[in-house]
Amino acid sequence: MAFPVNTQMLPLFKKLRQMPKEEQYVPGHRTCAGCGPALQYKLVAKAAGPNTIFVGPTGCMYVANASYLCTPYAVPWIHAQITNAGAVASGIEAAYQARIRKGTWKGELPNIIAMAGDGGATDIGLQAMSGLMYRGHDVLFICYDNESYANTGIQTSPTTPYGGNTTFTPPGKMVPEGKKLFPKDPPQLVIGGHPAVKYVATASVAYPVDLMTKVRKALNHKGPTFIHIHAPCPKGWKFDESKTIEMARLAIETGMWNMYEWEDGEYRYQYRPKEFKPVSEYMKHQKRFAHLTAEHIAKMQAFIDAKAKTPGIPVKVPVPGPRE
Amino acid sequence: MFNIPKESAVPFGCVTPAPVGEQPMMITGNWREFRPVIDNEKCNLCLNCSVFCPDACWQMNEAEDEMVWNAKYCKGCLICVNECSHDALTKAYELDFPDGVVRLEKPF
Amino acid sequence: MAKEKTLSGCAASALAVKMAKVDVICSYPIRPYTATMMELSKMVADGELDAEFVHGEGEHAQLSVCYGASAAGARTFTGSSGVGVTYAFETYSPISGGRLPVQMMIADRALDPPGDFGSEHTDVMSARDQGWLMGWAETPQEAFDNHLINYRIGEDKRVMLPQFVCQDGYFVSHIPNKVIVPEQAQVDEFLPPYSPGAHVLDPQKPMSHGPQIRPDQGAIMDLQRAQAFLDLPKVVREAVADFNRIFGRNYSPFVEEYMTEDADLAFFIQGGHTLTARHAVKHLREQGLKVGLVKLRFLRPFPTQEVGEILSKFKGVGVIETNTSYGGSMRGGSLLGEVRASLYDAAKRPVTTSFMAGLGGDVIPLKDFYWAAKILAQAVKAGKVEKTVYWAGLEEQAA
Repeated sequence: MAFPVNTQMLPLFKKLRQMPKEEQYVPGHRTCAGCGPALQYKLVAKAAGPNTIFVGPTGCMYVANASYLCTPYAVPWIHAQITNAGAVASGIEAAYQARIRKGTWKGELPNIIAMAGDGGATDIGLQAMSGLMYRGHDVLFICYDNESYANTGIQTSPTTPYGGNTTFTPPGKMVPEGKKLFPKDPPQLVIGGHPAVKYVATASVAYPVDLMTKVRKALNHKGPTFIHIHAPCPKGWKFDESKTIEMARLAIETGMWNMYEWEDGEYRYQYRPKEFKPVSEYMKHQKRFAHLTAEHIAKMQAFIDAKAKTPGIPVKVPVPGPRE
Repeated sequence: MFNIPKESAVPFGCVTPAPVGEQPMMITGNWREFRPVIDNEKCNLCLNCSVFCPDACWQMNEAEDEMVWNAKYCKGCLICVNECSHDALTKAYELDFPDGVVRLEKPF
Repeated sequence: MAKEKTLSGCAASALAVKMAKVDVICSYPIRPYTATMMELSKMVADGELDAEFVHGEGEHAQLSVCYGASAAGARTFTGSSGVGVTYAFETYSPISGGRLPVQMMIADRALDPPGDFGSEHTDVMSARDQGWLMGWAETPQEAFDNHLINYRIGEDKRVMLPQFVCQDGYFVSHIPNKVIVPEQAQVDEFLPPYSPGAHVLDPQKPMSHGPQIRPDQGAIMDLQRAQAFLDLPKVVREAVADFNRIFGRNYSPFVEEYMTEDADLAFFIQGGHTLTARHAVKHLREQGLKVGLVKLRFLRPFPTQEVGEILSKFKGVGVIETNTSYGGSMRGGSLLGEVRASLYDAAKRPVTTSFMAGLGGDVIPLKDFYWAAKILAQAVKAGKVEKTVYWAGLEEQAA
């Protein structure tokens, strides 16, 4: 696939003072107070700038943002189905490649960003996301991870942590931990088998300059890129809405969330603690884990220990299957 | 055959204009129970409040010497109070203020 | 100089799309439409067609890619058959409601279960409520022509609607037939470049496409689309008249009549089996039966007025149904209900019944048309039909 020469390069910055002042995701949206996904949207949009098109599959960042007949997106934005963000973004990119080449649109290839939740990226939207990565379109695919299908009232998704209480994984005497399954690892899904992808990263609302840098790096790459953003959800995880950033930081400090980049086959890590705090330090603040026993928390600790040792290498500790 | 009255018309293909600066069709300032209050003496313009606000309700002013709060949209989540690096932000009960609780003529 | 070529329906469709200078194509293989994409990919690879050829990961993706591409101002093309058509179903309403003139070629195919590669109209007919144009071609020539006509209509600023351009799998898509291929200049005269409206994604003119609405806003949006379908026939007539003028053809926009001048009986039919029906009508005429046929070119928008006016001339109408609508009012296919509705207000109404034929990809032999004509003639004599649906080849041949 040939790329037109005229794609913009966004400069990287190191300090908050240097971040662009303009908001491309403006005040006036119906997201919860303290919403992690809304915050990451604001940061991503700010980093991307005005020559951007967003694809918004159904989810919190569609319904809560776009109710009713109004949106907070200062740049062009289109709704997609929860199933097809990757495909719709591919189509927009193909159209712009054709139109620029044929001269029916003049300008630099816009940033095209698919903004999918964990369901729209790794579950119902997985196929389309993989198709995009495989075909090599010049698109940034973001998975904002609030660890549930939040918009429909907090149901389990493939990134809901083991033991997470959701309305589809309630604890009960048959299932004391609530959720028995361990989560998928979205960046590893991408890195594992898509040769056209050159840049994959994880990010967190806890470290906004790092997040915006990664967004710009991804956009500067020609080809498909993927960023997995941790976006704590006060409503779904059941913690006080003022503590969104604290939760995001604690996730990193306990190893529940790993910060890294993968670029041209090499891993680079950010904000790796010298010593990890125990996962209970993270879980005790969130009522979605309140029903867990010491035994469950120990299982979580074992999973995280293996995962946090060397991010990017598959877990060697055997993960118990759901019927064990 | 059909006569669609002008006031009932909705946009062609469900396409609405992009907002400029703010989205006044979704005012959220009346959500809050508490509001953040700034002590400008203590503030060192670290921009934590600005960067961490999901609703972009803290912005630096033109002169770049003071933080300006957006009363119209602030939902009162108090992330900014929690993340302020210099104890310049405290929370105060909304109803203590004469302009407390933005009232809309009709809900949404 | 227009050239005459021998082309299958698939090849004819590909050639039309190439001459339409499409911008974005999204492919996925499924029998029997696949050959169209094979042809197009070769044209792109050889530099004959400047288009983005995107390999979709499935039919749902094909339509999703076209949704995005059309929303970004591209002329788009995709296609499918059978279960591929139903797999993509979720996307049809967003594309129509988003007023995106995506074109989808359908080489129809029987739906599972079980696997059956043969032709049947049910696959795309099950999407007839989704707000797309829909119509069948009888021959590769008509398929070629319909692709151009549909782009012209669909992209008209008064319409802005997507189109299903359909042909019978295998009978039309695979059997080669004579196609008069026009000059590119003729196509350029008939089909201007796609000029996207204000509802297109463009960072130089930001807008939000498809925000959430309140329930009380839903009806108004539906009404606007219904209004577009009311305005549509005028655009169809203009486009077909222009097409006939530039290309020297003689299409009737919505409904074509064959040997109906003094007919008592008529078959009502769409698609490739019309070819057989014409021969049957000719033979029956030779035997003294006053029978003709009426061919439907557009199922959506259904030409209610034309159908009512034309069919009320006859004493008996037999609707050939190559589709199923289980539990429907006529207990057979969908066309008879639409025909009866079109006739409801007519001063004079024929007796009407339907004949399920060609299902599963079976041929409709001449003798089935003769059998149907006999049943129809008897019904006219009796002044009423015994039942609303007959299954060709499966009923006792006593009739």
